[in-house]
Amino acid sequence: MRKYLKISNLSYSYPDSHEALKDISFSIQKRESIAILGPNGAGKTTLILHLNGILGSLSGKIEVDGLKYTTENIAKIRETVGVVFQDPDDQLFMPTVIEDVMFGPKNFGYSNEDAEKNAIEALRMVGMDDFQDRAPHHLSFGQKRKVAIATVLASKPKLLVLDEPASNLDPASRRDLIEILKNLNISIILVTHDLPMALEICERSIILNEGEIKEDSETKIILQNKKIMKENRLELPFGFALHHLGDE
Amino acid sequence: MYSTTHSHHLSLHEESKLKNIKPEHKILSTFFIVISIAFSNVESLFQILLHSLIVFSIIFISRIPIKTYLKRLTIDIPFIIFALFLPFLSSGNNDIIYTFMGIDVFKTGLLDMFAILFKATLGLSMGIVLTAVTTNIELIYGLQKLKLPQIIIAIMSFAIRYIDVFIDEFKRVKISMRSRGYEEKGIKTLLPIAYASGAMLIRGYERGERVYLSMISRGFNGSIELREREYNNSVILIFLTIGSIIVLILDMYL
Repeated sequence: MRKYLKISNLSYSYPDSHEALKDISFSIQKRESIAILGPNGAGKTTLILHLNGILGSLSGKIEVDGLKYTTENIAKIRETVGVVFQDPDDQLFMPTVIEDVMFGPKNFGYSNEDAEKNAIEALRMVGMDDFQDRAPHHLSFGQKRKVAIATVLASKPKLLVLDEPASNLDPASRRDLIEILKNLNISIILVTHDLPMALEICERSIILNEGEIKEDSETKIILQNKKIMKENRLELPFGFALHHLGDE
Repeated sequence: MYSTTHSHHLSLHEESKLKNIKPEHKILSTFFIVISIAFSNVESLFQILLHSLIVFSIIFISRIPIKTYLKRLTIDIPFIIFALFLPFLSSGNNDIIYTFMGIDVFKTGLLDMFAILFKATLGLSMGIVLTAVTTNIELIYGLQKLKLPQIIIAIMSFAIRYIDVFIDEFKRVKISMRSRGYEEKGIKTLLPIAYASGAMLIRGYERGERVYLSMISRGFNGSIELREREYNNSVILIFLTIGSIIVLILDMYL
């Protein structure tokens, strides 16, 4: 199968000379979902920002859907790769939900009618189409998270990147989110501390720690390996056992 | 649960003939009526009566509850206090009309006082009506329709969007301070509040950065436009606005 996203030898240091990413290389295939696991400060968010071409001056190569990360391609890349950020309050800033969801498509050159059509469709996908005219800051956290996902889905990305999408969600909202993501049928990069969620959505996981890839393997295998888990400060929730997912 | 700040908007929920009217019309009407009042001649009874009649008609059709109106009119108090000093201070042509216990009362000052009382009260009344019958979003939409620069529209939208988030965060910070035994008692205990405000400022700045990142990741290229909305025309508002301008012009030439 064709490699859809290809990252080779990506390194990045912040202006304060902190080295956030060291020689990262991996690729994913079309419609593949992978999880990126790792402790706090491992470089996960920095990697996400790179996928969208937000942090400039990278050393190494990134290619998505055949597009190289160059200044000319940057708009197309941002349309192809949709990023849902950690805090929905950072993502929702327009006066009404529908305007927020239309913001991306309009920037990417959709007409008003098409942007609205896409926005309504995206809101329907996340079950929020009854909230079009509501103000984003009046919504509950779970609803904001869903709308934040819709703001990205409205531009019809081919690769969806989510930064900690399950944090602060109640169990039912977390379940809704998992079902939404399972039904999307696009490539997904899921950055999370929620290991059961990673297991449910992504067959493959990458462990990022201290800016380096420590492991790239099947999620099930990683979660079963106590040594890898401990070395990378990962832990399954108390009482959680892998065997009930058919893996004795 | 924390209480949230959803109620700081000035717009009222009451039914009003001025609700759902094109916000750009309401802004323009307020602007022209306030300008007509500002340029009016307070020595002309004709102008005073007609301008007052126009403003009170607008207050009447806006159906703003009189109690709310008077409460919001308290913003007028500093102007009133300032105006009350004028008859004793503004000497103009030294036209003393009365001396009371050695204090002179000047005619120019009296006129100035009346001008400020009349113009400030009516002008503020128009502002009160505008904000009572127009939501924040409608105001921004109206300004967008009036072709105010994009950057101003963007700043105003962000202010409206994030002021709630900011106030809520500050409330949470204060709750967490109180839960650790903090009590606000006099000026000495304000230091932690000052530190908290500083921390909030930095958080605000950092949030601004994150919001911007999330915007450019969705292809932001400098323009934020609100989508088209549908509003009605108000014949009576247009009539009263034109009336106000005519009153001003008539008095100038008659």
